[in-house]
Amino acid sequence: MSLLSPKEGWYDTKVSKDEKMWMVIALILCLMMFVWMILWHVYGKQNPSSTTYRTTTTEFAQLTEAYIKRNMIGMDNGIPVVRPEPNSEVFLMAEMWRWSPVLILVKDQSYNFHISSKDIVHGFSLQPVNMNFQVYPGYDYVLRFKPTELGEFKIVCNEFCGIGHHTMIGKVVVIENEEDLAKYGYDKMKKAPEAAVEEGAEKPLTESEKVILGEQLYNLKGCVACHKTDGSAVLAPAWNGLYGKSEKVKESGKEMEISVDDEYIRESIIEPQKKIAVGFEKAIMPVTPMNDKEIDQIIAYIKSLKN
Amino acid sequence: MFRTCDITGFKVDLQSEKLIRYNAVFAVISLLFAVVAALLLVLTRYQPIHLLGAEWYYRLVTFHGLNALIFWIIFFEIAGLYFGSTVILNTRFCSPKTGWWAFALMVAGLVITNIIILMGKADVMLTSYTPLKAHPLYYLGIILFAVGALIGVILFFGNLMIARREKTYGETMPLVAYGLMTAAIIAVITLATGAIIYIPTFLWSLGLINNIDPAMYKLIWWGLGHSSQQINVAAMVSIWYMTSFLSVGGTSINEKVSRSAFVLYILFICLASAHHLLTDPGVSSAWKVWNTSYAMYLAVLASMIHAFAVPSSFEVAQRKWGYNKGLFQWLSKAPWGNPAFSAIILAVIGFGFIGGTTGVIFGMEQTNIIVHNTIAIPGHFKGTVVIGTTLTFMGITYYLIPLIFRRKIVGFKLAQWQPWLFFIGIALLSIGMIVLGQLGVPRRHWDNTFSGGPFTHNFNPAVDFFWVITLLGGIIAFLATLIWILIVVVSVFWGPKVNGPQDMQLTISPLPPEGKPHKGFEAPGTLVLTFLFLLVFLALFFLNWKWLAATWNVN
Repeated sequence: MSLLSPKEGWYDTKVSKDEKMWMVIALILCLMMFVWMILWHVYGKQNPSSTTYRTTTTEFAQLTEAYIKRNMIGMDNGIPVVRPEPNSEVFLMAEMWRWSPVLILVKDQSYNFHISSKDIVHGFSLQPVNMNFQVYPGYDYVLRFKPTELGEFKIVCNEFCGIGHHTMIGKVVVIENEEDLAKYGYDKMKKAPEAAVEEGAEKPLTESEKVILGEQLYNLKGCVACHKTDGSAVLAPAWNGLYGKSEKVKESGKEMEISVDDEYIRESIIEPQKKIAVGFEKAIMPVTPMNDKEIDQIIAYIKSLKN
Repeated sequence: MFRTCDITGFKVDLQSEKLIRYNAVFAVISLLFAVVAALLLVLTRYQPIHLLGAEWYYRLVTFHGLNALIFWIIFFEIAGLYFGSTVILNTRFCSPKTGWWAFALMVAGLVITNIIILMGKADVMLTSYTPLKAHPLYYLGIILFAVGALIGVILFFGNLMIARREKTYGETMPLVAYGLMTAAIIAVITLATGAIIYIPTFLWSLGLINNIDPAMYKLIWWGLGHSSQQINVAAMVSIWYMTSFLSVGGTSINEKVSRSAFVLYILFICLASAHHLLTDPGVSSAWKVWNTSYAMYLAVLASMIHAFAVPSSFEVAQRKWGYNKGLFQWLSKAPWGNPAFSAIILAVIGFGFIGGTTGVIFGMEQTNIIVHNTIAIPGHFKGTVVIGTTLTFMGITYYLIPLIFRRKIVGFKLAQWQPWLFFIGIALLSIGMIVLGQLGVPRRHWDNTFSGGPFTHNFNPAVDFFWVITLLGGIIAFLATLIWILIVVVSVFWGPKVNGPQDMQLTISPLPPEGKPHKGFEAPGTLVLTFLFLLVFLALFFLNWKWLAATWNVN
């Protein structure tokens, strides 16, 4: 009858016993699910947090950088390693295409993660635990994590973020005591003395000091995610042997040849989209906030990298 | 201009028939685009083959998403709405000219969007989360398509008005038309939400607006993205009732219940967008819990009501035909040789057991943590949109070919196999993906080995097995879809003409004899099946919560 007008009296037909029974069960199930979610907030140990702060990409990048500078104990594959105190605030930044820093946590201790993005939307996916959260630019998501198992964990990005999406993978290590550090090769790492990281504000830096600071920035600011120094150039031009070379670039669609000098590097940092190296149009370089001193240090570092 | 159908006795407006045909043809073309892309994608994600490069992988994910989830489904739904509002209601098409304008807009949208994607100017995925930016023409193409679809929906309401005024269907609108009407109402809500988000995004891509907040974008986008799935559900369930009527003469055992369930879809549609934000910053837990459920998951309840009403409509009719023995004779003696019937039964099973169960569980606030953005999510909606909606649309097409295109089905034997093949393919694909997702494999990800990254990650070794399942399912489903497309195209363009009831390969059942009044259950077999569903649901429910409880603590 479903293609025809229903029989007279259809509106007053009594609901059959079995259908009524099923509907009541279904409704109870639906109500139970609602109550279940609330009860899990009371008794369960996994609940997405309600704490979010408004931020900006620039502000969050600066906060994370400052945090890493203060707490960094070393580097792991070009990513700074931080060992936060239990119950402290931990900054984790997503950017194209890396998670920074690498974190060393202690089992059964809690940490307040602040997670946000420097550029576009990313997905925080802790593996193999399999916990997943959304990461936005401009929103600082505060999640209080308590690791319950030892070992090495990875943070995969599971929200599409451009051509290098699959290379975006971070690391978290959970230890119980100091001896565990050796397993991950972190036993030799020590927190750098403040002075070494601190910029010499008063007296001008020598060229070699600039190079050292430039290398730190290279890792800290995330240039390393795309620009390699071993000659491989998949997502972006490699930096070794770059300085002084002539490069083909596109400026608003027009192709031209320029020579890589201070001015070009400076411009590329401040306005990455102005001149784009030919062959790398797909991987869009984000704007990384840097002051003049920092840019000088980056330039010095690139200069120092020979083929 | 009408013709009276010599098979069903319905009056068919020739203008309407032509519009239905053209919209259906474009639906099939879109589906072809979608499945060719799908095959390449599954061959890429299966790491030992890893067919495409990263660039083309992401490009085709975008292409596949739009063609499968938007163009194929909406073209078919527009055809369905025109069918439901004219043929079923014995009435004429209110404004065929406008119908052609709507069609032209939709085709223009399809062409523009697909060209821009294939040119590599819109590698942003179907969701195009800002600040990812596509070429302005990409957004414009989608807007044109949506405007066309909206006009089509308005024409549907125009047809309803004519039918009502001219009393062409008697006192009460038939159930199928009623269900389609709820789909149309949801379509208006959905397309309006789409306009709210796509128009500013279009302006932003032109540089006229500075910033589109990414969290705001995602919230509103899903008002389109998920609510549109509720159009599919309402249309699909309507077709289920229609097939019950056509194949065994069945109808809902209580039309008031079925109609109320359709209304619940309209009222609780907003649920849909909230459950995409369960692991997002910006909204509180109270907001999430309330807005995904409104305290009682009434949209879920609606589907569960149909889950009883649809099979019981078959059961009760079959029992009236005399297949009354035991619990399941009605099912074993069902017209399994009718590909529309088997498609619909398989769609009901797949939609409920795979898509429905996972959908509800993944849509709860905390359990979402262990699946959000993993490949389990597309696995879930392969169970709803592909086994549910697509297989239903494929099934009903076997009736549309003789009744609307007036052609015999070429390769009828193959057509009888096709729904089974498609069901097996998508079921394997879907289950494979869901398990992979539970093991942490991300969706929309080109390289499971993370080549070029600073670190790497080895998933649980079990993933290898489930990748094979996924690949196998994908290939079977691709072949089944190709068979279906071939049957449709060959039948429609070169099939022998249908000259009367003698040429019908699918039976159209007369109304069953009146049953004797009896005590006890109306549909005991269905009740057993729904209890089986309940057990499966509860098992999966507790399994997921157990997995969640084993993860780190977070709050």
